[in-house]
Amino acid sequence: MTEMLIKNGFVFDPLNGINGEKMDIAIKNGKIVESVNEHKAKIIDATGLTVMPGGVDIHTHIAGAEVNTGRMIRPEDHIKDVVRKTALTRSGTGYSVPSTFVTGYRYSKMGYTTVMNPSMAPLGAKHTHEELNDIPLLDKATFPLIGDWWFVLEYLQKGDLEGCARHVAWMMETTKGYAIKIVNPGGLESWGFGRNVHTIDDVVPNFGITPREIICGLAKVNKMLNLPHSIHLHTNNLGIPGNYVSTLETMKALESVATDGRPVGHITHLQFSSFAGDSWGNMKSAAEEISKYINNHNHMTFDMGQVIFTDTTTMTADGPFEFTLYQLSGHKWVNSDVETETSGGIIPMHYKRKSAVNAIQWSIGLELALLIKDPWKMFMTTDHPNAGPFFKYPKIIAWLTSRKARVATLKKCHKKAQKKSLLPSIKRELSLYELAIVTRAGQAKALGLKNKGHLGVGADADVAIYNINPETLDIAKKYKTARRAVGNAAYTIKDGKVVVKDGEVVQQVDGKTMWLDVETSEEMKVDEEMKRKFRQYWTVEYENYPVFDHYVKVSDAITVKASV
Amino acid sequence: MIILTPLKKFQFPIQAENINPDVFQGKSVKEIASLPVWEGNKQKKLDGLFKIEETPAETPNITIKGDASEVRRVGQGMKTGEIVINGNAGMHLGEKMTGGKITVNGNASGWTGSSMKKGLIEIHGDASDYLASPYRGSTEGMRGGKIIVDGNVGSDSGCYLRGGIIIIKGNSGPFLGFHISKGAIYVEKNAGPRLGANMTGGKIVVSGVVEDLMPTFTVDSVKGKVKIDDTLKVEGPFYVFLGDLAETGNGKLYVSKSNNSHLSRYEKFL
Amino acid sequence: MSVINAVTCPICGCLCDDIEVTVVNNEVVKIKNGCAVCEAKYLGYNSEHRIRKPLMRKDGKLVPVSMDEAIHKAGEILANANYPILYGWSSTNCEAQRVGVELAEEVGGVLDNTAVVCHGPSLLGTQEVGIPTSTLGQIRHRADVIIYWGCDPWSAHPRHLERYTSFTEGRFEDSEWKSYVNKVKAAAGMKKLLSAQRREEPKKVHDTAAESVDFNKPPETLQKEGRKLIVVDVRKSMSAEMADYFIQIQPNKDYELMQAMRALVRDEELDVDQVAGVPVKYLREVVDLLVNCNFGVIFFGMGLTHSAGKFRNIEVAISLTRDLNMRTKFLIMPMRGHFNVSGANIVFAWQSGYPFGVDFSLGYPRYNPGETTSMDVLLRGESDAALVIASDPGATFPKRAVQNLVKHPLIVIDPHMNATAMLGDVVFPSAFVGIEVEGTAYRMDNVPLPLKKVVEPPEGVLSDEEILKKILREVRLIKSQKTKQKTEAA
Repeated sequence: MTEMLIKNGFVFDPLNGINGEKMDIAIKNGKIVESVNEHKAKIIDATGLTVMPGGVDIHTHIAGAEVNTGRMIRPEDHIKDVVRKTALTRSGTGYSVPSTFVTGYRYSKMGYTTVMNPSMAPLGAKHTHEELNDIPLLDKATFPLIGDWWFVLEYLQKGDLEGCARHVAWMMETTKGYAIKIVNPGGLESWGFGRNVHTIDDVVPNFGITPREIICGLAKVNKMLNLPHSIHLHTNNLGIPGNYVSTLETMKALESVATDGRPVGHITHLQFSSFAGDSWGNMKSAAEEISKYINNHNHMTFDMGQVIFTDTTTMTADGPFEFTLYQLSGHKWVNSDVETETSGGIIPMHYKRKSAVNAIQWSIGLELALLIKDPWKMFMTTDHPNAGPFFKYPKIIAWLTSRKARVATLKKCHKKAQKKSLLPSIKRELSLYELAIVTRAGQAKALGLKNKGHLGVGADADVAIYNINPETLDIAKKYKTARRAVGNAAYTIKDGKVVVKDGEVVQQVDGKTMWLDVETSEEMKVDEEMKRKFRQYWTVEYENYPVFDHYVKVSDAITVKASV
Repeated sequence: MIILTPLKKFQFPIQAENINPDVFQGKSVKEIASLPVWEGNKQKKLDGLFKIEETPAETPNITIKGDASEVRRVGQGMKTGEIVINGNAGMHLGEKMTGGKITVNGNASGWTGSSMKKGLIEIHGDASDYLASPYRGSTEGMRGGKIIVDGNVGSDSGCYLRGGIIIIKGNSGPFLGFHISKGAIYVEKNAGPRLGANMTGGKIVVSGVVEDLMPTFTVDSVKGKVKIDDTLKVEGPFYVFLGDLAETGNGKLYVSKSNNSHLSRYEKFL
Repeated sequence: MSVINAVTCPICGCLCDDIEVTVVNNEVVKIKNGCAVCEAKYLGYNSEHRIRKPLMRKDGKLVPVSMDEAIHKAGEILANANYPILYGWSSTNCEAQRVGVELAEEVGGVLDNTAVVCHGPSLLGTQEVGIPTSTLGQIRHRADVIIYWGCDPWSAHPRHLERYTSFTEGRFEDSEWKSYVNKVKAAAGMKKLLSAQRREEPKKVHDTAAESVDFNKPPETLQKEGRKLIVVDVRKSMSAEMADYFIQIQPNKDYELMQAMRALVRDEELDVDQVAGVPVKYLREVVDLLVNCNFGVIFFGMGLTHSAGKFRNIEVAISLTRDLNMRTKFLIMPMRGHFNVSGANIVFAWQSGYPFGVDFSLGYPRYNPGETTSMDVLLRGESDAALVIASDPGATFPKRAVQNLVKHPLIVIDPHMNATAMLGDVVFPSAFVGIEVEGTAYRMDNVPLPLKKVVEPPEGVLSDEEILKKILREVRLIKSQKTKQKTEAA
C-alpha cells in the first residue's frame, strides 16, 4: 500500500504558489507524485479541510547534553505532565523539556514533520544523535556550535579563510551536522574565564579576534562551502536592554558578504535581541527600528522566539547570559562549558503576564512578526523551550492570525506593557497562506531543504491536514476553534504514511537524520601534527571524536559540493 | 461516614488518591467501591483491597481502620471533610490539601502534608521524613494550615516553609526548617543538626537541646517568651539567633537558654 | 598479534580513551598508558569466576540450562511480577541501558541504577540548585585552583590528575608535576634526615605526635605560583599527601564548613572561631585565595555523598561554587565511579525524564527518591521480583535489603559469579563491555565516548543488550498470550 491520494482539500503550498486551491495531492513510495491510480491508492477525503506541507521548525532544543541536563534537573516540571504508555507509543513526561518519545509524538500531533536541533557541542555530538534517534515521527537535523571553536578562531585570526572552510567542512561531516551555528561569538570563549563581550568589536582575550570578524568570516566560509542554510546566529548581548544596537550592527556587518541575493545570515529568536532602553526599569521594544531595517534589506532571515506566559526552562549555549538570568532570578542554575568549543547554561524561567518585562517581551515577538512585511523573512518559533514549550505553538498561530486573540491576551498583561505595546496599532492578521510560509515553506526555503515545506512533485510526502475550512471558518474571529484545529491535526502524513489521525498517533515511523557530506576539492589533512594538536586541545583522542555511522539510526547524507 | 478496613497486609504500594472526602462526596457505597486504586502495577477497585462499610455518623467522612502504611496519597489535595486513620498512615498523606482535617492515630510516613495550603493534620505518633516539604526540585513549601506531631519527626521537615505552623512535641531530625522564608516551627524537645540551614525568614523555636548550631547564625538577644501563633505562646528565656548568614537571611532561631548551656559562649556578643 | 590504539578503558569515570591494547590469539597480553586498575582488568578479566553458561536454581542449586529455558523463566518472572525492580546498569553500554528502559516500562517495574548507593545525592543536589560545571578539558586548560573534597583520586581515579587537572599541560596553565616531584624529593630527604637522627639517638623517645599529621596549618603553601592543589578529607589520604594544602575536617561536618565558607565569600562575620576543626582565620585565607583565583574547581566524591547531610552536602558545595561565580570563575564536578553510571542516568533521563529511581508501575514514569528508589523499595519489602545487571547489590546493599532481594525470584546478568549471582534464581553470563562488546559510554563530565571490542567473547556468551532483547521479546509473548487467554475466557 504505497499509494495515497488526498482528495479535494484546500491546499496551501506557497513554494509552488498554491493559495487555497481545491486540489488532490498524490503520493507514491513516500514522495509526492503527479498522479496515482485512484482504485489502488488509499484515499484520504480532505473535503472541507486545509492541506499544507508538514510543519518545519528551524530552531528547537530537543536533543543533546544541554537539553538532557535540563530534563534531569527539573523533576518538578515533569511531574505535572505525564504521558502513559499505549500499545503503540512509549511513555514519558513533559512539560517544558519533554522526554524524547513525547517530543516526537507532540510535534507530530500538530502536523509537524521536520525539526532542527540548533545547538550541538561537537564534543557531545554522539549524545545529540543518540537522542535524535529516539525522537519518532520526525525528520531532524542538528547544528554544530562553531562560533567559538579554537580552530575557527585561530584560522580567522590568521585570515586563512580557505583553511577554515576546509576545517569546517571536515567538522560538519564529523559531527553529522547541518549548519554553522554561532552563539554570542567571542562571548563563549571569554566566558571560559568568566568574562563576556559587549560590542561586536570587543577583542576576545587570548585570541585577538572580534565578534564581527568571527561572524563575517564564518559567513564567507559558509558561502565558500555552498552550505544549504546560511550561518545561524544568536547575537551578542542577547537579552540585555539596549541590545538592538548591536543587533543592527551585526546585520549591517553582514551586508558586504551578501553578493548574490541569497541570504547570508539567519538571526534566531530575534525577540531576545530587540530590546531598547538601558535598564530593566525602562526596557522597551525596538521592534520598530529592527523591522524597519529588515524591511529595507534582503540579506537575512529570522525567527521569532515568541514568549508564552508559562513556567518554562531556558537553555542556550550563551553561558554568560544564563548566569545573568541567575543573578536576576535566583533560580537553580546550570553552567556547562565545553572544552575548546563552547559554553552553555540552563535556568528555569516563569514568564508572567503581570511582569512588565515579560509582557513587553511577549509583545516584541509579535510586533516583529507583524511589522516585518515579508513573511518569507520571519518564521514562527519559541526557541523551545527558552521562550515557551513548542506544543503551545497554536497560541502563537492564533496571535498571528487574529487581532482579537492578541487583544484578549494584552488586556491581561501588566499596565506598563499595555501602554508600551505597539500591538494595539497593528491591524495585520496573517492569512492561511502566510501562516503556511512562516510555519513551513519559509523555514524549509531558508534551510535549503529542497524536498521539504512544499507539495510539488518530488517533495517528501510530509503532509499536514487540519480541520479548518477556509470557506466557512473565519480564523481571525473564531481563533479558539482555529487554535484547537492546528493543535490536533486531522491527519499527519510522514513519508506517505498516516502517523497521526484526529490528534492521536496511529503508526510509528522512525524519521531520518539529515546531515551534510561536504566535498571540498582538497580534503583537510589529518596528519600526526593535527592529531597531536587535537590531543592538546581536547581530552579525547582524535580517533574517538567523530560521530560514526552507526550512531545515526536512519541516515540521510546530503552531498554538498564546496567551492574550495 | 465510610469505614475502610484493609483486607490484607499490603506488600505492594497502594496509590489511593481517590480516598478523599471530595471524591467520596455524593457517591453511593457501590460507586465508592468501584473507585480505581493501584496495587503495585495492577489497577484494582477499592473494594478489592478494602472492606467498605457505611455508618450514619456525619463525621469523620472517612475512617481507615488498620495498618495503612502502604496506602499512599490519602487525602491528597482535599478541600473539605475529615479523615481519621486508626493505624499507621502511608506517604503523601494530605499532600497539597487546601482544607479539612486529617487525624492519624499511629505513625505517618514521608511527605505528609507536603506543600499543604490550608487545613489541619494531627499525628499522634511519629512523622517520618520530609514532613510538609515540597517535591524534589520544587521550592513550593507549605503555605498555610497547621500540622501537630505528638512524637518525633524525621529529617528535612518543614523545608521551604512559607506560611503556616508546625508543632513537634517530640524531637526533630536534621535540617528542620531548611530554607524557611515565613511561618513558624516549634520543637518541644530536642532539635537535630543543621537546624534552620539556609533560613531567610520565619521562626523556629526549640525548648529542648540544640546540640549543633550552624556556624552561620549570629546571636542577637535574649527573649523571655515567643508567640508561635494566636493559640500558643512559649515561655523562655530564649537565645535569639539571626541567620542564615550564607543566605543573608533574616530568619530567627529561638533556642532555650536553660537547656543549652553550651551556647553560653555566645553571650559575650550580647 | 594486533595492537589497537585509542581504546577506551571500561573501568572508572575517567574513561581514558588513549589505551593501547596488544592482543595475541584473542587474548589481551599487554596494556600501555593504562593505570594499575586498567591493566588489572584487561589482563585478569577472564578469571575462574567467569560464568560460561546460563544457570537456573533447581532444588536449591544453580545448574546449567539452555538459553531458551533461562530466557523463558526470566520472562515469566518479570511478566507475572506486581512490582519488580530492574537494577544496576552502570557497567554496561548505553545500547543495553536503552533496552532496560523499554523492559522496565513493559513490565511496570522500578528502574534504578547504582547512583542510588553512589552519586544519587549529587543528582538530588543538582535538582535543588543546578550545577556550574564543564567538561574536563576546561579544567586542564584553565584551572589554577583545584580542590578535591571528600575523594581520593590517587587511589580511585588514578589518572585523573595527570590527564585532567594538576599534572597536565593546559593552554593557559602549566603542569605542576615538576613542583610535586621536587616536593616529594624534599619530603623524602627530610624523612631520611629524621630517620638518621633517630638512629643516632636510639634512647630518645621520639615524639610521634609532632611527626604525625598536623591538624590544619596556616595556608602559607598556597602562596606559590602555578596551579594550587587543595585536598579536604577526614584523614590524610594519598591525594592529601600530594596536595599543596590539606584541610583535615572533622567527620560529618562538611556541611557546616561549606556553609561557613559561603558566608565568608559574602564578607559576613562569624561568631565562631573554628568550624569543623578548621580555624576560621585560616578559612578566611583560603576563601581569599578562592575569590581571587582565575579559575577554580571542586571535585567531590563519597566523602560528601555518604556523610551526614548526603544530598544537602552536595547542595551546599554547589551553592558555594555558585556564590564564588559572583567574584570569579568556579566550577564543580562529581567524581563518578563506574565507567558508565553517567550513561545510565543520561539514557534514563532522555527516555523518561528522570535519571534514576524511575517507577513505571502506573504506566508512566514516576520519580521520588526515598519512595521509588530500589534500595528503599527493598528495605520496605515491597518488590516481588528483580533483575540485576552490571552491578553487585548482593555485596553492596544493606543486609535487610539483600534479604528481601533474595526472598523473591532474582534474575542476574553478569560476566562473573559475583555475590548477587550466587543468590540468583536465573543467571545469564554476559560479555564484558569495552573488551568483548563495543558500545557507548559517558564520562564523568558527560562526554560520550565509543568503547571498542578488542577480543571475542567466549562461545555462547552474549552481550547484555542481546540478553535483554531476548527477555523483552519473551515478556511480550507471555503477556500477549495471557491477554488472549483472558479474552477467550470472557
